Amino acid sequence: MDKKTILVVDDEEVIREFLTEVLSEDFSVSTATDGDEAIEQLTLKQFDLVITDMKMERVQGEEVVKFTKETYPTSEVIVISGYSSLYSVGQTVNSGAFAFLSKPFSIKELISTVNKAVGY
Amino acid sequence: MNRYSFLTKLQPTSLRMKFVLPIAILLIVTIFGFSMYLTKQQSDGFHRELETSGEAILRMFSRSVESGVLFGSKYDIEDAMNILTPFSNIKYAEVINAENEILAQTGEWNDSLITFKSKVQELENNQDHKYNNNYYALDSHGEEFLVVQYPVFYAEKKLSRENLGLTGGLDTRSNDNAEIIGNVKIVFSLEHVNSSIANARNTAFFLSLLISIFSIIILTFFVRVIISPIKKMVDATTLISRGNLEQQINVSRNDEIGKLAKSFNTMVSSLKSSRSEIEDYNKTLEEKIIERTVELEDAQAQLIQSEKLGAIGQLAAGVAHELNNPLGGILGYAQFTLEKLKKRDIDSTTQKDLTSYTKYLTDIEKQARRCKNIVQNLLRFSRSSKNTEFADVDINSVIQDTCTFVEHQLHMKQMTLKINLDEHLPNIQANAGQLQQVFTNLIINAMHASQTDSEIEISTRFSPPLGEFDGAVEISCIDNGSGIASENLKKIFEPFFTTKDVGKGTGLGLSVSYGIIKEHGGEIKVDSEIGKGTIFTIIIPLQKSREDSDTSNSEYINNFDNN
Repeated sequence: MDKKTILVVDDEEVIREFLTEVLSEDFSVSTATDGDEAIEQLTLKQFDLVITDMKMERVQGEEVVKFTKETYPTSEVIVISGYSSLYSVGQTVNSGAFAFLSKPFSIKELISTVNKAVGY
Repeated sequence: MNRYSFLTKLQPTSLRMKFVLPIAILLIVTIFGFSMYLTKQQSDGFHRELETSGEAILRMFSRSVESGVLFGSKYDIEDAMNILTPFSNIKYAEVINAENEILAQTGEWNDSLITFKSKVQELENNQDHKYNNNYYALDSHGEEFLVVQYPVFYAEKKLSRENLGLTGGLDTRSNDNAEIIGNVKIVFSLEHVNSSIANARNTAFFLSLLISIFSIIILTFFVRVIISPIKKMVDATTLISRGNLEQQINVSRNDEIGKLAKSFNTMVSSLKSSRSEIEDYNKTLEEKIIERTVELEDAQAQLIQSEKLGAIGQLAAGVAHELNNPLGGILGYAQFTLEKLKKRDIDSTTQKDLTSYTKYLTDIEKQARRCKNIVQNLLRFSRSSKNTEFADVDINSVIQDTCTFVEHQLHMKQMTLKINLDEHLPNIQANAGQLQQVFTNLIINAMHASQTDSEIEISTRFSPPLGEFDGAVEISCIDNGSGIASENLKKIFEPFFTTKDVGKGTGLGLSVSYGIIKEHGGEIKVDSEIGKGTIFTIIIPLQKSREDSDTSNSEYINNFDNN
């Protein structure tokens, strides 16, 4: 069985690299530096999971969530953000995201959320 | 006596002169006028006396020579002339007959050498006025003479009722029926009279002088008695007007001046006590002002600090995000490295694994440094505003630091921050923390005024020196937001003025910013149009960044209406 595909969207290089490093053993990981680039990649192909930052330059995470869920209802989205509040968690869930991870998060937290999202 | 009081004494406006001068003049005029009048009277009296006695001698002489002339007897005439001998003042005498021949003469006289001076006034009751031909004359030496002339009569002696009962006879003899048979003339020298007059005049003059001097001395003394306490008062008043209230006037008199001095002394002591009251009050007031100033300064510092903390609060989201990103990396890589190390033995560790670990640890170090920088930046920003240290500051890097905080806040509102920095900006003497507070405030204000998706531009520019202008650094913050209404433009730098909703703004941001920029010797200008946007421009001059700050500190609260 092919590895499941994950698209990591974050304007922070360290986060992108770290997620790739952690997830690339079990998944095929692609990255995008902002929402605009993410939507470009999503128009080309479907990803099983999209992990996106909320606050980015140009197109924001909300747009990515919206686009993903509208285009590929079977794909899941995990939102990660350094700025967590009840409001942003609620907003994320309302927009159709699978989960919200608040930076900084532990690897255990990440793996378990990702596994839940892709149904392992 | 110094020169000043000497001049005061001579001043025509001084009381002394006003008293002494007119009275002295009046006295002198009166005394001299009176003495001149007396001298004149005396002189007239001398003349009159001479005239009277002269006339009498003349008539007597005329009678004496009557028979001599009648008979042409020179011997008789000369005998008669002897009666003139006792009169030492007779210069000349002559007797002539009807034919104008000189019968006898004594002394020297030449009518042609003298000048007529004045006719003698007729004596009262002189019945012989028709024969009166007496006059004063001057000779060529200026010597004065009285010339008297009288006819020689011949009359038959008639017995009359008057002659019978009276002893005199000579004077009562009437000339009415007499025949003029000759003429007698006597010239009196006035030398004696004039010297008497001169003596009298001199005496009068010296007496007048003496009396004048004496009266002026007495006058001066009296004026001094009156004026000296007044002068004392004037001197005391002068000293008082210079602030010396220790003056008391010693005048032990019960008259008006004494009363005046007493009430003056009373006035001075009450003035003194009120002044000491005022001084005491001033002292307390000064202490209170210093106390209040210190309190005010503390309050201002607190104000700046709380405004700053407010700004930090507003920036908390941005700060959190800034910290959480590198912390995410640190936490992640640390855990990841640990997991990997748990799974493997040291022996089985490959070169590839080591490379990975090195990379993870490098990343951790890099991100930890980033966190440190953020925290340092935050500390620098929140450092107490009492720290008024000025240092060489690169405005561009202060703006970049500021943007690190606010950028995230702007991203959340989908706003872009355009940073346009002049690379050739020189360093200025400034307080970086305070300036960062100002820039943060301007950007947050711009953000609150702007719509989502709009752009805020912050730029720096160098105005190079020109003439007396030492050059300046210009910082502009431009937004295309809602703008500020013109009626509010004047108020925006006032403390507690805000157009934001309750709880959103303290109304202190711009007033604190204004104070900070003033302390930097600079100015902050605003240009705004409703619906189009606002431009805030800060100009900080290069050289005078620090010098004016001490004075401008106190203008913090009061000077907001300048803009």
